[in-house]
Amino acid sequence: MSVTARFRFGRKGPVRFLGHLDMLRYFQRAVMKSGIPAKYSEGFHPHQLMSFAYPLAVAMETEGDYMDLDLAEEKPADGILEDLNSVMHEGVWVSRVSILGEGAANAMALVAAADYRIFTGYTKEALIQACDGLLASDSILIEKSKKNGKKKKETIQKDIRPGILRLEAEEDGALFMKLVSGSGMNVRPADILSLIVEKCGEDSRDPLIRRLEIYGEEGGELLPLSDCGGGKKSGD
Amino acid sequence: MRFEDRKLALPDRILMKVEKPARYTGGEPNSVCKEADPVRIRFCMCFPDVYEIGMSHLGLQILYGMMNAWEDVWCERVFSPWQDLDRILREEKIPLFALESQDPLSGFDFIGITLQYEMCYVNILQILDLAGIPLHAAERGENDPIVIGGGPCTYNPEPLADFFDLFYIGEGETRYRELFDLYEEGLPRAEFLHRAAAIEGMYVPSLYKTEYHEDGRLLSMTPVYDDVPVSVKKTLVKELDDCFYPTAPVVPLIQATQDRAVLEVMRGCIRGCRFCQAGQIYKPTRWRSVEKLLEYARELMQNTGYDELSLSSLSTSDYPYLNELLQELIRICSEKKINISLPSLRIDAFSLDVMNKVQDVKKNSLTFAPEAGSQRMRDVINKGITREEILNGAEMAFRGGWNRVKLYFMLGLPGERPEDVAAIAELCNDIAALYYETVPKEQRQGRVNITASSSFFVPKPFTAFQWAPMDRMESFLKKAAYCKESVMKQLNQKSISYHYHDSGTTLIEGVLARGDRRLSTVIETVYRNGGLFDAWTESFSLERWLDAFESCGLDPDFYVFREREKDEFFPWDLIDCGVSKEYLYREWLNAKAGKVTKNCADKCAACGCTSYMCGICISPKGGAA
Repeated sequence: MSVTARFRFGRKGPVRFLGHLDMLRYFQRAVMKSGIPAKYSEGFHPHQLMSFAYPLAVAMETEGDYMDLDLAEEKPADGILEDLNSVMHEGVWVSRVSILGEGAANAMALVAAADYRIFTGYTKEALIQACDGLLASDSILIEKSKKNGKKKKETIQKDIRPGILRLEAEEDGALFMKLVSGSGMNVRPADILSLIVEKCGEDSRDPLIRRLEIYGEEGGELLPLSDCGGGKKSGD
Repeated sequence: MRFEDRKLALPDRILMKVEKPARYTGGEPNSVCKEADPVRIRFCMCFPDVYEIGMSHLGLQILYGMMNAWEDVWCERVFSPWQDLDRILREEKIPLFALESQDPLSGFDFIGITLQYEMCYVNILQILDLAGIPLHAAERGENDPIVIGGGPCTYNPEPLADFFDLFYIGEGETRYRELFDLYEEGLPRAEFLHRAAAIEGMYVPSLYKTEYHEDGRLLSMTPVYDDVPVSVKKTLVKELDDCFYPTAPVVPLIQATQDRAVLEVMRGCIRGCRFCQAGQIYKPTRWRSVEKLLEYARELMQNTGYDELSLSSLSTSDYPYLNELLQELIRICSEKKINISLPSLRIDAFSLDVMNKVQDVKKNSLTFAPEAGSQRMRDVINKGITREEILNGAEMAFRGGWNRVKLYFMLGLPGERPEDVAAIAELCNDIAALYYETVPKEQRQGRVNITASSSFFVPKPFTAFQWAPMDRMESFLKKAAYCKESVMKQLNQKSISYHYHDSGTTLIEGVLARGDRRLSTVIETVYRNGGLFDAWTESFSLERWLDAFESCGLDPDFYVFREREKDEFFPWDLIDCGVSKEYLYREWLNAKAGKVTKNCADKCAACGCTSYMCGICISPKGGAA
């Protein structure tokens, strides 16, 4: 039997400078401390079967990232949420737990889009102008470096315009965006930010990027990953 | 203060530019933030190397946990900024800060620096300099922090005498409370230091004046006031079960070099190897009880979430209750899928059996540390292991399914002859041959794999070899080449790979280990000329050191290559670590005669440590358990 729990988590503050593998280790230790009955892999080095939807970039905050963990036995989502939060270090928290239905796809495979808010030092007017400019273009070519098989880096041009689903200036220099993510097209908030910087000039503050939600696609609709794959949720 | 609300000392644009920014952001699980109010002493613990190395050190966790349990003290941490951040801090004139509060070091009451190896001395000056604290203790004013050193290198702290206000000689658990109580009296700096010198283990270098013979040897070190002790006695914990243990250590968020929970089972070593400083300065051997250790193990697992637990000591096989401890530990750990690691085990039937139980990994390599190739040489260094024991251990290991053996040796030991060097190769060959004799052809999984490596021996204070000349670099290299050549001549040479640590740092390490306080200027010169991270081969420059010696008018050879006279007054003679100079000299003569001395458990060698009235000196099993 295999039960998978999906955790929606957030991180903010100094802990955002951790890399993806550090976050993985952090959660493995938290699970160990919490007493959640994690399922372990077979073999010489048994490890927890844990995977993340979308590796967090260094310095990025999040309110809605996802981690899947296989459990050795079924447990109520509410209890797991509480157990894990009781050992969370400040700056990291779990906001939701869903127990996935049989055969649900893993979080990483589901990722279709994500929401972000970037906190900049620009005025609302400048941001509106920049956003309008970008949204008015039919195509936005950016250069991406790509590693080919021989580990040589090559630069390719990519049109990211179709990947920008929403882009809006908000109050106090905040910028909201919904971007296509996943194995096909993947637009990063940093890509948009550098386009904005090109238009608005050097920023007076270090911009802070915060992921707000990650979506999967089910029946042609974008759903937060905690709502994908059926099952029971904490708070249900 | 909430961790997520802490304001970082470095802006994002800098953190995004440097390698591993989480080295500088703090806020790890079990790290401690306090409100300013009841705190009267701000202490910053410093390990003068990068974060990942410093955070692997148990001593730092002990003091951190102990001090933070006191309401009036807030202990924080700082490590050497790596070269990338070092450059930025200088360019942008950002003062060095502590990880927890992110406050500049200059505002602290104490900077406590651990001295773990000689090659980090230059990094100490980096820390002080980046913090804006005057490098010389003599130049510090009432508002500057008290700079205090601790750790193994304080057993000869003289090369650093100019830079430290105070050295703490001995184990940190015992005297900090007393020192802090004195500090809280609010005395002027000079008076505080003067009064601190009366506390056991406190060495205030500025309160001693040195005189030298015309030929450069030290003549005397005498207190400048009558009430300052002529000798500083090491302070230690008499009963380990009664002292603080960090069962909620700070858990690094980035991977540390030693990324696991640590259970210190005992302190000190009964063996008395003549090259080993740790074996002398941590005497007498003291044990923790099984009961306490199991309690700590459970708490450690609960508080850290680590998936590995390591038993720590100088020689875990000598822990008298190892069997009992491991039986229970294995039970607890396998339940929780926690791996047990057992460094410092002698290879014998018992340890192989244990390793079979705890290592669910493939039969990894086994490690032997014969230190010398010939029995004669092992007797000289009093390494209490015979050829038969090594071969028996190897045979058992081969029968148990191991086929990779690692062997550690030293070159340049006092009295070493060419045949002793060749014996390294012969021993490797014998072990390889034994594999083919022991394991039938059909059971072999390929060739046996013997990896031998040798390092260059550096004589250290408080060892029998403190009188000995160090081997010269040319000789080291010649011996290493000869050893390699000898390996090539062996019948089983294809199963043996031999490496030596081509360490240009050996000479400098040797000078600093037995140096005097005149070397402070050399260290400072090296630092001023760009020296940093000398312990890292890629940043070490022998030339920079040799230039500094020359410009300071000091001869490095003087410190390392002469055999010292019996009665020479050593820079570290002021420190009393428990073992007497008479005992060490007896051991030096025994070494020259190739005579073995029994270990503490078999027969007391009258080293002098009985004066501490604890551990193995008063009860054969340390009084524990």
